Amino acid sequence: MIASAQNHAYLLLTVTLLIVSFSLVEPVMAWILILVVCACVMRVALYLQLHKHAPSVRTLNLLALLSGIVLAYYSVQLGILLGMVNLLVMACALKLMLLRSQKDFYQLVTSCGFLIGCGFIFQQGILFSALYLCLIGLLLISMAFNISPNRPVANLLKHTGTMGLQAIPITLLLFLVLPQIGPLWQMPSGKRSETGLSEKVTPGDIAKLSQSSELAFRATFKDSIPTAQQRYWRALVLEQFDGASWQVSEQRKATRRQYWQFAKEFAPDVSGPYFTYDVIAQPTHQTWVYAIDVAIPQGVSSNQKIWQSQDYQLISTSPLVSSFQYSVRSYPQSQLNQSLYSLDSRINLQLPSLGNPKTQEWVKQLRQTFPKDEDLIAAVMDYFTENQFVYTLQPELMPNDPVDTFLFEQRAGFCSHYASAMAYALRLAGIPARMVAGYQGGELHPDNYLSVYQYDAHAWVEAWSDDTGWRRYDPTSTVAPNRIEYGLRAAVGDENFLLDSPFSLARFSTVPWLNKLRLALANMDYQWTKWVLGFDRNKQQDLIKALIGKLTPQRLALFGLGVFTVICLLLVLFYLPIWRNPKRDKLAQVYHQAEKQFAQIGLSRNERLGPVEFAQQVKHSTHQALHQPFDRLTRLFVASKYAPANNHHEKHTLAKMKQELQEIKKALKHHQHAQPS
Amino acid sequence: MINFQTRASRWLDKRIPEARRFSLNLNNVFIFPSRFGLLFLFLCLGLFLLGTNYQNNLMILLCYFLVSLFLLNLFTAYLNFAKLTFQLGKTQNGFAKSTIQLPIWIEHHVKGANNAHGKLHLGFWRKPPATTVDLDAYANPVYLTLPCAKRGKLSLPRVTISSYYPLGLFRCWTHLAFASDILIYPTPEPCHLKLEQKQTDEGNQSDHHTAPGHDDFDSLSAYRQGEPLHHVAWKQFAKGQGMITKHFADNVQSSGWLKLKPSSTEHTERQLSELCFNIIELTRTGQIFGLDLVVTKIAPNSGVAHQQICLEALARYPGSKEATKT
Repeated sequence: MIASAQNHAYLLLTVTLLIVSFSLVEPVMAWILILVVCACVMRVALYLQLHKHAPSVRTLNLLALLSGIVLAYYSVQLGILLGMVNLLVMACALKLMLLRSQKDFYQLVTSCGFLIGCGFIFQQGILFSALYLCLIGLLLISMAFNISPNRPVANLLKHTGTMGLQAIPITLLLFLVLPQIGPLWQMPSGKRSETGLSEKVTPGDIAKLSQSSELAFRATFKDSIPTAQQRYWRALVLEQFDGASWQVSEQRKATRRQYWQFAKEFAPDVSGPYFTYDVIAQPTHQTWVYAIDVAIPQGVSSNQKIWQSQDYQLISTSPLVSSFQYSVRSYPQSQLNQSLYSLDSRINLQLPSLGNPKTQEWVKQLRQTFPKDEDLIAAVMDYFTENQFVYTLQPELMPNDPVDTFLFEQRAGFCSHYASAMAYALRLAGIPARMVAGYQGGELHPDNYLSVYQYDAHAWVEAWSDDTGWRRYDPTSTVAPNRIEYGLRAAVGDENFLLDSPFSLARFSTVPWLNKLRLALANMDYQWTKWVLGFDRNKQQDLIKALIGKLTPQRLALFGLGVFTVICLLLVLFYLPIWRNPKRDKLAQVYHQAEKQFAQIGLSRNERLGPVEFAQQVKHSTHQALHQPFDRLTRLFVASKYAPANNHHEKHTLAKMKQELQEIKKALKHHQHAQPS
Repeated sequence: MINFQTRASRWLDKRIPEARRFSLNLNNVFIFPSRFGLLFLFLCLGLFLLGTNYQNNLMILLCYFLVSLFLLNLFTAYLNFAKLTFQLGKTQNGFAKSTIQLPIWIEHHVKGANNAHGKLHLGFWRKPPATTVDLDAYANPVYLTLPCAKRGKLSLPRVTISSYYPLGLFRCWTHLAFASDILIYPTPEPCHLKLEQKQTDEGNQSDHHTAPGHDDFDSLSAYRQGEPLHHVAWKQFAKGQGMITKHFADNVQSSGWLKLKPSSTEHTERQLSELCFNIIELTRTGQIFGLDLVVTKIAPNSGVAHQQICLEALARYPGSKEATKT
């Protein structure tokens, strides 16, 4: 009996493991997922008694050894974090096959709990959080089943659910009050996620990115919001060109390290109007963060977390492993001329030694025609408009001499093609130029915040001019002005937008109700990110300050004591005896009230007497006006007690009984008035 | 170690004194995180470290949720366990080197209210649990098997009852000392019957007499009205010798004494075992015998009640006199 019922606990655990493994489908390798599925199928077969024997320990040890070797083979490629997650899932699958004793069960439950926790490294959305909460619930039910296998299911669910609900207020109190501390040590970070920018951009990469409707970051503005043309979010400055792709310059990295060692942060002078905003970036496992030029981190914590590099790029001091919040002030009219010219020009005049001969020839001719830099830049920009260049999401592959192919053959490409070609051309002309990768645009929401998605990814050019320093040129804007003004959808047309994800809600933003739904979901996610994921030390301090005023040690101590008391009170409330006793019968209550009335005149029911006998006794010792209503009341009470339950009927009886009780009271008053006289 | 154990048992004797019936309450329930509970706390710690290092609020929330649940479990576990009442049922005496069954009745303080749930593990103190009972499906009483090593009055070891309800995070347990008056008789040691005649016997009077019974054929006599028909000797009847009734008899031997000859302790124990065998065997054959244990004497008699008295005397030997009044 117990053995078969224990299977409920095991089965629930199996289901939990299966779901949590598949929620980690991105970081976990496919063959491990297959292992999980095998283990689950085996468990289910054992549960349904299709199969009677679990595999022997020796077989499993052999399997574990093999899996271990395969995982070790992949481990270098996976890195520590992913390797560990994979190992954990694999171990859980093997343990599930082995599951025999209580010890195995408990170990597996703990591992599953940890795995659910690890899930939050990869998924922090509101839906996934809800899923993981459900999984924790399943785990608890499994644990409860393990201890009381024969308990009725409804009863068990109710009790476990109650316990979970009771835990929630305590959890929230702890979360709001226990001090949030900074990272204790640097944790290994996962690989770059599938979507997002990377430190090396080959024209065409960003076109792939444009197929993703995933969120990149949100920016909440304090007062004024930048216009569409101003929304150039700088993420990466790519200064090294090898003829095909652009990447972060090694020299730049070395310089950054030097400055970092000497704690000399770049602090550009800024002036003019500004935007103040908070950014909540989605985890990227990378260090760059997003801002509009020229950005200065605001506030102590943002200044601590963010480092400004000489190329006006903001860099986080630790990788963005979970959602990352910072405050920035941007001065769009400030000039980018405060970095070291000698270094910038050295890096940004670097050219690949070979390739793209046609472009080289073309630029040589241009240089002869336009000796002035501005003229030359204008000529390059004009070249794009005059030659019917096309802005497309599906550019042809250009394996050899990509710039030549793009400029003189294909004449169709995505923003990075334009930026790459232009920056290269300017360098050939002797003008320091570089590619900037980032995002352009963003969807404005009513709460004064912009959501920037992966399909807003963009690349543009910066060229040095002796007067104003680095200036932004966006060749895409001349080819597809809609891209800048109205976003990607307007530039490529509805039918081409998010072609690879046909069911993405963002694709259907022309359908009003679907769009409303999408915006509502986006808003919910925003609030979730802002208040739950983004609840950090500052917010906690603000909250405590709002509650107790100044943060003096005495007040904090009192506050801590208060919270402790509240938790104790909650516990007392949960376990007060009234919750545990079943509710007393209402009919019986009325009957007892009637009894009490008679106790006043010295008539109390002996415990051995039933209600009917007591009514007889009352009949003998009181007068008619008193015993008649009591007789009726007793009969009603007895009839309803022994009759089959009927809810509607009971209400009726209760009303009648109350009536009789009133009558008894009245008669009794009369009786007592009569007595003295 | 021994010192610690005796101290622990002395402390327990003070805290949970011997009784026939125990209602669990704050005085006799112990509670501590189980091994799984400690593992669970370790999980919480892991989640906290991971959550802090990754600055991941969801992980920290999960950690706090599990910690709160752990805290709630403490109370739930206690309240569930403290609903129970345990009582030792009717026990029987046993023989040394065999086992006895201890019936334990599990009840609730408050009948009809929410009953306790979950599995209950019963066993003896410092021994692994012997029986597991599911409080959602069980039948009273629950039997515990106790091996009896030594002859004499049995000092019942404490019964350890534990529960891991509701999630296995906490172990609630109690060590109950049930009051009992169980006696352990010596192990019956097969040997020759050693019924001795009384020293004061006059002459060699053969005390052989019979009592009517069913066991052995005794004699034949003429049939008398009312005698059972199946006692009629039909063979003789067929031979034309008339109705003759067979008479059967139980062989009742004359009263003798079983005597203990005091000597070295080891030898005494052996003698007691042999006496035990004798008593059982003599009672089985229905003989009359007395028991002389030097310190106590039990007058000759027969029957099961007499056997019990004798066996108890053996068990108590060399117990005080007042214990063996006959």
